[in-house]
Amino acid sequence: MPEGQFCNKRPVNTDEELKALLGDTGGQKYYQEMKALEVDTALLWSTIQKTMKSRIKTWLSICAHCGMCADSCFIYRVSNRNPKQVPAYKIQSTLGEIVRRKGKVDNAFMHMAMETAWAKCTCCNRCGMYCPHGIDMGVMFGYLRGLLYQQGFVPWEMKIGAGMHRVYRAQMDVPNEEFVDTFQWMVEENQEEYPRLEVPVDKEGADILYTVNAREVKHYPEDLAEAAILFHIAGEDWTVTSEGWELTSLAMFAGDWEACKMQVTSVYGAMERLKPKRMVGTECGHAHRATVVEGPYWAGRKDGQTPVPSIHYVEWLAEALRTGKLKIDPEKRIKVPVTIQDSCNYIRNHGLKEVTREIISYIVEPGYFRDMSPNREHNYCCGGGGGFNGIGLYRRQRNEALKTKRDQILATGAELVLAPCHNCWDAIRDLIEEYEVPVKWSFLKPLILKMAVVPEHLKPRE
Amino acid sequence: MADVEFNGKKFVMDEDGFIDSFENWCPEWVQYVKGLEGIEELSEEHWKVINVLQDYYKKNGIAPMVRVLSKVTGFKLKHIYELFPSGPGKGACKMAGLPKPTGCV
Repeated sequence: MPEGQFCNKRPVNTDEELKALLGDTGGQKYYQEMKALEVDTALLWSTIQKTMKSRIKTWLSICAHCGMCADSCFIYRVSNRNPKQVPAYKIQSTLGEIVRRKGKVDNAFMHMAMETAWAKCTCCNRCGMYCPHGIDMGVMFGYLRGLLYQQGFVPWEMKIGAGMHRVYRAQMDVPNEEFVDTFQWMVEENQEEYPRLEVPVDKEGADILYTVNAREVKHYPEDLAEAAILFHIAGEDWTVTSEGWELTSLAMFAGDWEACKMQVTSVYGAMERLKPKRMVGTECGHAHRATVVEGPYWAGRKDGQTPVPSIHYVEWLAEALRTGKLKIDPEKRIKVPVTIQDSCNYIRNHGLKEVTREIISYIVEPGYFRDMSPNREHNYCCGGGGGFNGIGLYRRQRNEALKTKRDQILATGAELVLAPCHNCWDAIRDLIEEYEVPVKWSFLKPLILKMAVVPEHLKPRE
Repeated sequence: MADVEFNGKKFVMDEDGFIDSFENWCPEWVQYVKGLEGIEELSEEHWKVINVLQDYYKKNGIAPMVRVLSKVTGFKLKHIYELFPSGPGKGACKMAGLPKPTGCV
């Protein structure tokens, strides 16, 4: 069974293996090796027999081929309504076919399935809302990704991402001590303006345990500073953990089920160790889905709940504004046409649609907010969800997919797009660059920080 | 992969505009990218960041954390953004010839 040096069925479990894979820039050798990778059909079939439960079996068999899912899929719509982009077709021709053939598929089939699973579906779950039977192709593609990952047919960046979680319990090479040091560094850089600013580490029994996305630590540390300052201004009793601080899961995007469990278990361990009243996660969509919505099941938690109540950053923000912990200077509210990107992972899939609109009611001058069409749970994916943004091999397809969001944004006439999700933020940045769209885009934290009233006792003394 | 010619040098770029291989980096690449990044004049400080990124990459095969970049250069985060408006992870790495960071960036 030809297993490549880079492309093989083995998960990445050491830093050395990670570095070796990273050294193959862009996965050039990796994808060459994939062309010779054999499918372990016996393993594929036995895995399906062990893991494919009644819901997916039922969904595959009851599809009436009615086509109602077609127009629900933004990738179908943006592909000139190519029938091969109809969600039902996409899943039946991949997962459905593997099941029909009892796992006896070849390398070329797996290449096709990989492209379908990562470049034709962002797991946005919109189709599931429109199917008369409630069949959710996004859920099934998540399952298919697991089968593909096990066989080594996974995009290079996704293999690395899953490996990062295995080695670092974070989606990037950020050791625990670097997380704490970076947070402290950011606090120090802002202490002139906020003299009593601090980051409490491993404080037991705090009201809030704050968790982040490793990218904020590695590449965008200003996000950590903004979070610390907003908790500080709001007078919150908060802490971070020196272990189990990563909310995201590229393992989920990769279909590495074992790493999914490893990752959320580390966060739940922190919750159990520090016993905060609740956990607040950063402005990330898929991270919320991974750690708060799906993670409890990966970890085998019978109640389907995280060890302590866990909320998204927008929920904390709305509450802080509602209760007056954070006060907005009305003069500084947003006074340009503005819209918001509804993140699939916590709007459609976790019901927070009115929470973000409540925030808007505090921070946008009346008359300036313009909803996209469609919006709320009906909104389209940013175009880069489910790992799509991060896969160089499928950049052309991703850039095509961005056109839906581009046109939605342009139709609002907005000059600013609120994007409280890292994936959405990246996709909107890239569509602005790719298509030269004249808008600005932002997370909520930096905007709130510009308009929040700082209590007198927290200001520096003259 | 796309080809580009600049000041007599030929470069191959990946789909995100990063140079295909660190081995192919040369100072002309920096001149080419600076225009795309909206940087008017390259100062010694730009070169200091680029050199630190390259030294770290040669030793570790990956880009450093921004904290490490700040510590070694002595530049505060705000200043790094003043030098490289699209950020240390994107603009600065691109100019230094590092590959595009993997993960959610």
